[in-house]
Amino acid sequence: MDRAPVTDLEDAEGGSITPEAVAAALGDEFSVGFGRPSVVRDAYLDTFDRRLGAVGFSLHQVSDSVDQRLVLISPGADAPLTMPITTVRWPALVTDLPVGALREALAPLVSIRALMVLDEQTRRIRRGEVCDEDQKMVARLELVDEGPDAVAAPARLSVHPLRGYGGEARHAVRRLVAAGLRRVRPVRDDSMRRATAVPQVTIDRSAPATALLVTEWCAYLAAMRANLPGVLDDVETEFLHDFRVAVRRTRSTVKLGRPVLHQDVTDRWEPALKWLSALTTPVRDLDVHQLDLPVMAGWLVAADPDDLQTFAVQLRRRRSAARRSLVRGLRSARFRNVLSGWENVLADLSRPSREPDAGLTAGELAERSIRRRYRRVLRDGAAITPDSPAEALHSLRHRCKELRYALELFAPVGDDAAGKRAVADLKDLQDVLGRFQDADVQKQMIYGFTDEMRAAHAPTKALMAMGELVARLEADQRQARAGFDRAFARFGRPAGRQRMRLLTGAR
Amino acid sequence: MKVLATYNIKGGVGKTTTAVNLAYLAAREGRRTLLWDLDPQAAATFMFRVRPRVKGGGRALVTRRRPIAEALKETDFEGLDLLPADFSYRNMDLELDDTRHRTRRLGQLLRSLSADYDIVFLDCPPSISLVSENVMQASDLLLVPLVPATLSLRTLDQLTRFVADAGGNRPQVKAFFSMADRRKRLHRDVIATLSREHPGVARSVVPALSIIEQMAERRAPVPAYAPTSRAATCYEELWAELRPA
Repeated sequence: MDRAPVTDLEDAEGGSITPEAVAAALGDEFSVGFGRPSVVRDAYLDTFDRRLGAVGFSLHQVSDSVDQRLVLISPGADAPLTMPITTVRWPALVTDLPVGALREALAPLVSIRALMVLDEQTRRIRRGEVCDEDQKMVARLELVDEGPDAVAAPARLSVHPLRGYGGEARHAVRRLVAAGLRRVRPVRDDSMRRATAVPQVTIDRSAPATALLVTEWCAYLAAMRANLPGVLDDVETEFLHDFRVAVRRTRSTVKLGRPVLHQDVTDRWEPALKWLSALTTPVRDLDVHQLDLPVMAGWLVAADPDDLQTFAVQLRRRRSAARRSLVRGLRSARFRNVLSGWENVLADLSRPSREPDAGLTAGELAERSIRRRYRRVLRDGAAITPDSPAEALHSLRHRCKELRYALELFAPVGDDAAGKRAVADLKDLQDVLGRFQDADVQKQMIYGFTDEMRAAHAPTKALMAMGELVARLEADQRQARAGFDRAFARFGRPAGRQRMRLLTGAR
Repeated sequence: MKVLATYNIKGGVGKTTTAVNLAYLAAREGRRTLLWDLDPQAAATFMFRVRPRVKGGGRALVTRRRPIAEALKETDFEGLDLLPADFSYRNMDLELDDTRHRTRRLGQLLRSLSADYDIVFLDCPPSISLVSENVMQASDLLLVPLVPATLSLRTLDQLTRFVADAGGNRPQVKAFFSMADRRKRLHRDVIATLSREHPGVARSVVPALSIIEQMAERRAPVPAYAPTSRAATCYEELWAELRPA
C-alpha cells in the first residue's frame, strides 16, 4: 500500500523546534496547525516471556488527558493497529481486551499468557497536522520531548504521512530540511530484549563439566525467581508452568551431574528439589484440567456442555484449596532456605576449585550422560509389550525427559546439527508418551472428582457428562498406545543411532 | 472483512451521509475501515476533502491494470481510508461488462484488501445496474435508507425481490428510516406501520436535521464535528444496531 515511512527530524544545530518554525517552513504551500501540548504516557506491554517482541511485534498503551488506546506495531505492516480502550487493568489476558482487529491479531501471538507493563515512558507531545490547499490533511506531526528530564523545548519532529499522500509528505519533509532540520536515523531500541534474553552459553568441550552445569543452574534459578511473583499473584497459569520447568530441569540435571558433584550435594539437593517439584504439582495438574475443559466440553455427544458446570465449579474449588497450600509452601521458611541454599551452592561451585573435581570435562560428561540415557530409553522402550502396564510407559516417558534434558544441556558442547535432529527424533516419541500419560492422569483425576461429587449429591447429568469425558480420554489413550510402536521404531532407527554416535563419541 | 453497502434505487435518501457517518463510527471503535465511493457524483469523496480522481479511472481498477491499493487515500480520521470516486465511474457498467465474472468483479477486487480492513462500506449510485449486481454479490449487508413515504414499502419490496432473484450471494437486507420528520403525520404513520410489519426494518431512525445537511459544508462526519448532537446519537444507535460482531 502507498504509505510512506515516518520521518523523524531534529534541528541541525541541536536547538529546539517550535511550531512557529515548522509553520514558517511549510507556510506557502501547506497549512500547519498544532494542538496544545499534552503529556503522553507510553506503556510498553508484552507477555512475561516477551512473545510479542520475539516475533517483532510491539504493543503500547498510549494515554493522554483525552483518551487512551492500544497500539500494536506489526513487522512489515503499513500502519499500526489501534484500539481505543477504557478500563483495562494490567496484567490482563487477551480475552480481557475489547473485541476487535487488534485483539484478533494479538490472540494467536500471546495465547494464554497475560499482557503486562514492562516499561513506561512519559513524554510531552504537541500533535499537529499538515494540510494541502483543500484543507485535506496529508501528514500528521508530533513534536516530541526527549524524555521526562528534557527542557520545555521540543527536541524532535515526526512526520507521519497519510496513506495516498506520500508525495505531499515527502515534499513537506524536503521543505523542512531546507529550513534547517535534519533527518534522524532510526535507532532500534533492543535494550528490553537484551535485558531479558536467555544468555547463550559459550563453554568449550574441554572446560570443567561443573562450569557448564553451574551456568545452566544459574539460568534455571533466575527463571524460578523471575516467575515466582507471577505464581504468587496467580496472574496466569504459565508462570507456574515455567517455574516448574525450571525446577524439573534443575532436578534432572543435578542427576546428570552426579559424576562431578560431591555426594553431600546430591544427597541434600535432590530431595529438596523433589519437594519443590511436588509442592507445585497439584495446582499445575488442576490448571491443565481447567485449561482443557472448554475443549473437553466440545467432545460431548450425548451430554450438554452445560452439564459440566458442576464439575467446573468443583475444579475451581479444588484449585483454590491447592493454591492456598502452594502459596503457604512458597512463603515458607523451607522454600526460602531451598532457594537461598541452592544459590549458595552455585556460588560455591562457581569459585575456583580448591581440590580437583572428578576430572570430567564438559565434553566427557556430555558423552557419558547422553550415552547412558539413550541406552536406557532403548532398553526400556524395547521391553514394552502390548501387555505392559501404563506405569511402564510413564517410566519410559520419564527416561525420555532425562535424555531430552541431557541433549539440551549439553548442546553447547556437542555437534549442533546432530543434537537438534536427535531432539527432533525424541520429540515424536515424547509426544506419543505424553498423550498417553496425560489422558491417563486426566482420567484418574475425573474418577477422583466423580467419587467426591457423587458423595456430595451432584446432578446425575454432571456425572454422566464426566463419564463421556472418561470414554473419550480412554479412546485417546488407546490411540496413543497404538502409535507407540511406530514412534519407538522411528526413534531407534539407524539414522538416529548414527546421530547418537556422533553425540556420544562412540564408534 | 465485512462488506456493508448503502443502497437504494432512489437518489437523495441519505445513502452517502449514512455511509460516511457509519464508516467514521466503525473506525472510531478501532475497526480498520474502508469506504469505497462508487458514485461518480463523488459526494462521499467530497465530504472527506479528497480529490475525486483515480489514476487510470475506473477502468484501470476494474481491469486490475492498477492495483486497488494504490488508489487508497487515508482520510483525516484514524483508521478510516477512502477509495475515491472518479467521474469515469459513470461508465463502470460498461467496463464491468467487458470483464470475466462481470457480476463478481468488485467482490474480487475487495478480497485483495481483506487482510487490511475489518469492514468496507460501499456507497452506491442510485440505480439498478451491473454495478448494483456487483454490490449484491460483494456485500454481507445491504443497508437501505428509506424516506418515510407511501412508496417506501414498494421500494423495499422491489429491492428485496431483486436480491432474491439475483442468484449467488444473498446479502442481508436491512432498511432504516432516514430524513424522518416526526412533525409530519405521514412520516409517523409510515414509520410505525413499516417498523411493525416489516422485520427487515431497523428500529433506529435518522431524522431530517440541519446538522446533517451541514456535512457538505463542514466536509466531515457528523459525530466528528457535532459529537453530542442528536444526529450523532441517532447514527450511533443505528450503528449499534447494525454493527457486525
